[in-house]
This record gives sequence, structure tokens and C-alpha cells, in this order.
Amino acid sequence: MEIFKKRNEFIPIVITPPSSLELPNFRELWEYKGLFFFLLRRDIKLRFQQTVIGFLWIILQPLIQMVIFYVILGLLIRVPTGNIPYHLFFLSAFVVWQFFSQVVSYSTNSLVGNIGIIIKSYFPRLALPLASVASLLVDFGISILILLVFLLINGNFPITLRYLLLPVLVVITTIFSSGVGLLFGALTVVFRDMRNLTSFILMIWMYLTPIMYPRSIVPEEYQIFLYINPLTSLVESFQWIFLHEGTLPRIDYLVISLVVAILIWFSGAVAFRAMENKVADVM
Amino acid sequence: MRQCAIKVENVWKEYRIRHTLEGPSGSLKAVLNAPIRWLVGRGKKTSRLAQSETFIALKDISFDVEPGESVGLIGRNGAGKSTLLKILSRITRPSLGKITLYQRVNSLLEVGTGFNTELSGRDNVYLNGSFLGMKISEIKQKFDEIVAFSEVGQFIDTPVKYYSSGMYVRLAFSVAVHLTPEILLIDETLSVGDAGFQHKSMAKMKELLRSGATIVLVSHSDQAVRDICKRAIWLDKGVLRMDGPAASVVEQYKKFLD
Repeated sequence: MEIFKKRNEFIPIVITPPSSLELPNFRELWEYKGLFFFLLRRDIKLRFQQTVIGFLWIILQPLIQMVIFYVILGLLIRVPTGNIPYHLFFLSAFVVWQFFSQVVSYSTNSLVGNIGIIIKSYFPRLALPLASVASLLVDFGISILILLVFLLINGNFPITLRYLLLPVLVVITTIFSSGVGLLFGALTVVFRDMRNLTSFILMIWMYLTPIMYPRSIVPEEYQIFLYINPLTSLVESFQWIFLHEGTLPRIDYLVISLVVAILIWFSGAVAFRAMENKVADVM
Repeated sequence: MRQCAIKVENVWKEYRIRHTLEGPSGSLKAVLNAPIRWLVGRGKKTSRLAQSETFIALKDISFDVEPGESVGLIGRNGAGKSTLLKILSRITRPSLGKITLYQRVNSLLEVGTGFNTELSGRDNVYLNGSFLGMKISEIKQKFDEIVAFSEVGQFIDTPVKYYSSGMYVRLAFSVAVHLTPEILLIDETLSVGDAGFQHKSMAKMKELLRSGATIVLVSHSDQAVRDICKRAIWLDKGVLRMDGPAASVVEQYKKFLD
């Protein structure tokens, strides 16, 4: 009891029936930040604990993909990527894609996969997917470093002032990916086969983003379809930084992307909140 | 000191029971196939997309618990006791009504304590503490006491999945009573564990009560209820049937069972 005397005044908790429109409770998430960091540390520890394998896998995965696509699309089929070596073109787009698809995959499973602790204790369920996102950001950082190594080895792509825009793009990408992940995570509670569907959707999504091919090989009149995919502009903005390719992204487009990402995030979060209340009853 | 620790107002809880094996709306496949099934089924009696039945676990439950009170929840299986405790623990939400918690709650439920089986006992102690919003330093203060009480010894650093059920319960109970803030909700777990541990648990709970904690206990052992609780609430098929001094409620309940 003594420990708690020093605490601030406890604000009474009111438990009510769930409503379909509940926004995330950020104050509560902040209160549970200990839990968030605990989940984050544990996830990172788990992955790096198998030190040699864990750390290497983060490096190997994008590299192996790069080699495969380089051989097939770069050497054999020779997809035209202009002045840019195919492997660099691919890798600079792929690191972004990998982050997005990992966040979506992990978040899709965050409610259903953690049903064990969810039915046993209370904590803001949003902490689960948010902790995965934070952990995957570490991976993203590492793969960008690897990309940098390749870029600097090549010599034609030095670090420029453009890199100042990198944090902004990372933030927008994180918010967008997390939002999509939360939405899929919510859907998985209702539609159990969502997990399989997610892999399938991600596969198609990857083909619909200019990662393995440059936008230029798509006929002009069809390029609009690529732009419906928010990842297209994100990937191209990243490539603008890494490969000195393309035109400066317009500030107003960036602001719009940020706003859209935030809207998507809140939609995902509301859907997630609605389903987090159902998951303990459904199982 | 507040006059109220827990306020339960007109709480109802309804569950939908699905007869299909799939999730709530079935699967996407089922939803997409619905038009086809309808076409095929026209004119014949067909089963619905997902047959469901409603089961009302709690009906219009209202009561108040004052700080420092010890309340026993008794009733047959399926009466709604565990459901009520789950709602109070915020694991599930009521369908109607409102509950206000004026103090911090810790729960020890029949399903477990939120122990993550992959983690060690030590990690789980800290994890549980963080669920309660405690700081690492606060948990550290109590850590040795928790381990000592649980008699888990050197196994504190082994993953919980390797624990025997006895060890698990002892650690879970130890964590719950030592990290308890103001309100402790316990469901049935006292019945597991040997006589010696049960004796220790009772003593510990009484100690908690003496220092001002509030306890709500679900137990089938009327011995435990009578021993620890001053008040008892009898739930029968989701309805609050009786609420009063533990001795008399337990007596009425036992008469009813015969």
C-alpha cells in the first residue's frame, strides 16, 4: 500500500458498453508506456538473441531478394532503369516495401495472435501493434544502412542535402503502414481467413508498386493506377533521395500525403478499437 | 477516503453463441458465397449464414463495494460470477450498464494472470507490474518478497511454460497479492495448491484486508468465503439473488443446493 501513497490522484475508470466509434486513448497508452517498452525490448531481444542468425537475417533478406530480382529482371530481362543500376533501383524501393509489408503482416496478427494475454489481463491493446511497428523501424533503419553501403560503394550516389527529407518520409510511411496494419488487424478478428488473404493482398500490392520496374515502362494512360497506390509516391520520394532521380517532391503533395496517412491511421485505429472489444468475447 | 471502491450499475452481459466453427461473420468465403447460397436455397428451408443464439450471462446487476470490504461471489457454475469478474477486470465490456472503478484493480482469474508462458517467472513479475502501471523500481522493491512467498526458488528465471501447475498458481497468487494496488479480484484459484499454501494464501489475504485493500473473491469453497469475506453476493443464472452478510448468504445458498 505504501508504494501507492506517493502516486497522483487516481482518476476513476468508467467501464461502459463498447461503442463503434472509439478513438485511441493516448493518455492511457502513455500510462502503459512501460508495457510498450517491455514488449519492444522483448521483441528485439528475441530477434537478436540468436545473434548470428537474427541480425544476419535482417541483412540477408533484402539482399537475397535483390540478387534474385537483379538476375531475372536486371540481367536476363533487362528492365530499363535508365542511368541507375538495376540492383540499386530495386533495393532502394524494396527496403521501403519490406518495412510496409512487415508492419502490415505483424499488425494483422496482433489481436488474434495475442489472444492469450488479451483474455487474461487488461492493457491498451494498441500497444501490441505499436510495439511491432517500433521494432520493425529498427529493421528499417538497418536495411537503409545496408542500402547506403551499396550506394556509396557504387560512388555515383553520395549523401546529399536531400537526405534531410528522409525522417519526414519515414514518418509518413510509418503512419500509413501502421494504419493499414491496424485495419487488417481489426478485420482478422471478424474474418478469420484474413491472415491468408493478407499475404495474397500484399503480393498483389507489391506488383502494383513500381519496385521491380520503373514507372516509366508503364504506358502513360495507365500510370494513374499506380498512383492510386499511396506507396508509389512514397517509394518514388525515397528514390528521389537515394538515387537523385526524378523531380523534387512538391511540399503540398507531401503535406497531403501526411494528412492522408494520418486519416488512414485513425480509421485503422478506430476499427482496431472496435474489434479489440470483440476479440475477448469471440474466441 | 472515498466511500466507494467499485460501483456496478445495471450491468447486463450478452454473448452470441455461434453454431458455425468460423468467426463472427463466418469467413470472407462465407460472406462472398452468400448470394449463391441464397439462390440455391430459395424455396427450401435453409440455414442462416451463421446461426447464432444469444446467451445472457448477467441480468441487471447492481451493487456497490466500499473500500476495505471483502466480498464473496457465490453461485452455481454458469451463474455469471467469472463473467462479472472479467468485466470488472476490463477484459470484456458489458453489453449494457456502467461500472466505475475508484481504485486500481489487480485480478487473478481462472484463466491465468496474464503470464506469458515464453517468459521467465522474473520477467512475468515485471510484466504484471507494468500492467498495473508500476515502475521498475517499485516492482524491484517487492521482488524478493514475491519470490519468497511463492516458494519458486531458483526457477524464477526459468520460462513459465516449464512450471508445474502448482508453481504457476503459487507464483501467480504471490504476484497478485504483493503487487495488488487497492482492489484485488480473485477467481477460484485458491482451490488449487496444497493445504499449506492455501493456509498461507488465506493469511495473506487477511493481511491485505487489514491494510485496507478491497477484495472480491469468487470461490466454491464456502469455507474460504466465510473465512475471508464479510459480505457475499449470490448470483443465480445471471441474476443477483442475494446480497448480505457472508454467513447468511452462504447458508441460504447451501439450503438452495439441497
